[in-house]
Amino acid sequence: MDFHTAAKYASLLSKDYAEDIFKLLVNYHAISASEVATRLNLHIKTAQDFLEALAQLDVLSKEEALEKKRPYYRYTLEQTRLVIDIDLMQVKQEPSQKNLTLRVREKENAGARFSVARSDDYITNVAIWTGIGREREERKIKLTAPQGRFLFHLPFPKAEPLTVDEIMQKAGIAESLAPEIIDLVQLLEKYNVIEAVPEEPI
Amino acid sequence: MTLVRKLKPDRNITGALVPLSMLPIFGLTSLIFGIPTGILTLAVMIGLFGVFYLYVFIRTRNVFVLVISADCVFLIFMLVMASGTFTNAAWNYMEDPFDSAEFALAYFSGLAFFGFVIIFLFLTRRLKWRGREIFELAAEPVEETGNGYTSRPRPVGKVDYSPQQMHAFARFCSRHLIALPYITSKNLTLVLVKNSEEFGRLLGLSGDYRDATWVNFDMDGEVSVHISQKDYLDYREPLAFDQLCTSLGQVFSDFFDLYDKGEGVRVIDRMDDLKISVFS
Repeated sequence: MDFHTAAKYASLLSKDYAEDIFKLLVNYHAISASEVATRLNLHIKTAQDFLEALAQLDVLSKEEALEKKRPYYRYTLEQTRLVIDIDLMQVKQEPSQKNLTLRVREKENAGARFSVARSDDYITNVAIWTGIGREREERKIKLTAPQGRFLFHLPFPKAEPLTVDEIMQKAGIAESLAPEIIDLVQLLEKYNVIEAVPEEPI
Repeated sequence: MTLVRKLKPDRNITGALVPLSMLPIFGLTSLIFGIPTGILTLAVMIGLFGVFYLYVFIRTRNVFVLVISADCVFLIFMLVMASGTFTNAAWNYMEDPFDSAEFALAYFSGLAFFGFVIIFLFLTRRLKWRGREIFELAAEPVEETGNGYTSRPRPVGKVDYSPQQMHAFARFCSRHLIALPYITSKNLTLVLVKNSEEFGRLLGLSGDYRDATWVNFDMDGEVSVHISQKDYLDYREPLAFDQLCTSLGQVFSDFFDLYDKGEGVRVIDRMDDLKISVFS
């Protein structure tokens, strides 16, 4: 299950009336939104939205019914067990060779402010400016110790760029920590603090 | 041979302004409260000046600054006498102490002695903070321009010295006013101080020393360098920042090597050879 679907389930299950509606769905063969609303003293729109959302997730099936020429839906429970199962590893950024061989250095006039740790061997946070005009505001990014060490060893603007892998070696960062380094590189590249420099052809 | 300076000329007059500011205060207090009060006010100000240099001695162990403190003590004694508060040898209040030949003799001989010693120490650069010399030495090998300034410190290498050797080197740097050391359990940070900037730095009015220009040695021997934007802008040209930081680290590594070989005097010679004005 992906995050987006899981979020929809979680949102529905967190409603105060969710358990009561499920109780009705389990015990009734088929039930309409107005029947749920009157039974639980809810607004019909609230009941309808909830049932529609469950139908979209295939938890319920719906069937059109007619009464005095006005069509409406009757909902039937299709799944008696709801399992939210998310594989967290699906969002892990595995360092690719391309990421690790990216030649980077600090961008000139980046406008970022770096705060150095008391021990003077790593950066604790970077303050960058986001937005333009009156919307411009400072955003402070706190760094993990390996990220701080990486930034400490990042080449200066106009200096010879180094690959992410080389900087990690200089800073003594284990290869297993590459995902958090790559995440930082991508973030700072987005905010123009770091620039990727393509290798010059020989 | 003409030496090409890479720093802009020094136009900072703080060093002269601090003692000179005593004169208008003396004049004003004399005008408002009378000459004896003016003289006492001047004595208090000179006293504070002397205490500052006593603090400089405690902080740096540069014995030559004690001459300034001693001179201040002498001047205070003379001024208090001149204000009419003290009595002469016959225990009578003195109307005008300069009527007394002994007072005038003591005053002028003391003034001549301290004046001579202080001018000698001044001309031989023993009272001079060496920040400008270090900046010039760091810029010497940097020919490339192109800015690239960043507020990040730069790791510039490693030295193979024990913490004891580092502490000894820090004492050497402070004794010769090369840099002001800040020592923690893990780091030794040498902060560069230019002449006239010592008042702000030592009195804590110049902000956190981490924002200044420094060279840091951690206890594992890793060396890192930080150059403040203010100091970087003091160069005539936007020198290649990366090279400048590396060079500054190298200057201190060379100094450390010379000091460790027992050739600390060569460090002083290298700075004196630059022939930077004693006023800057």
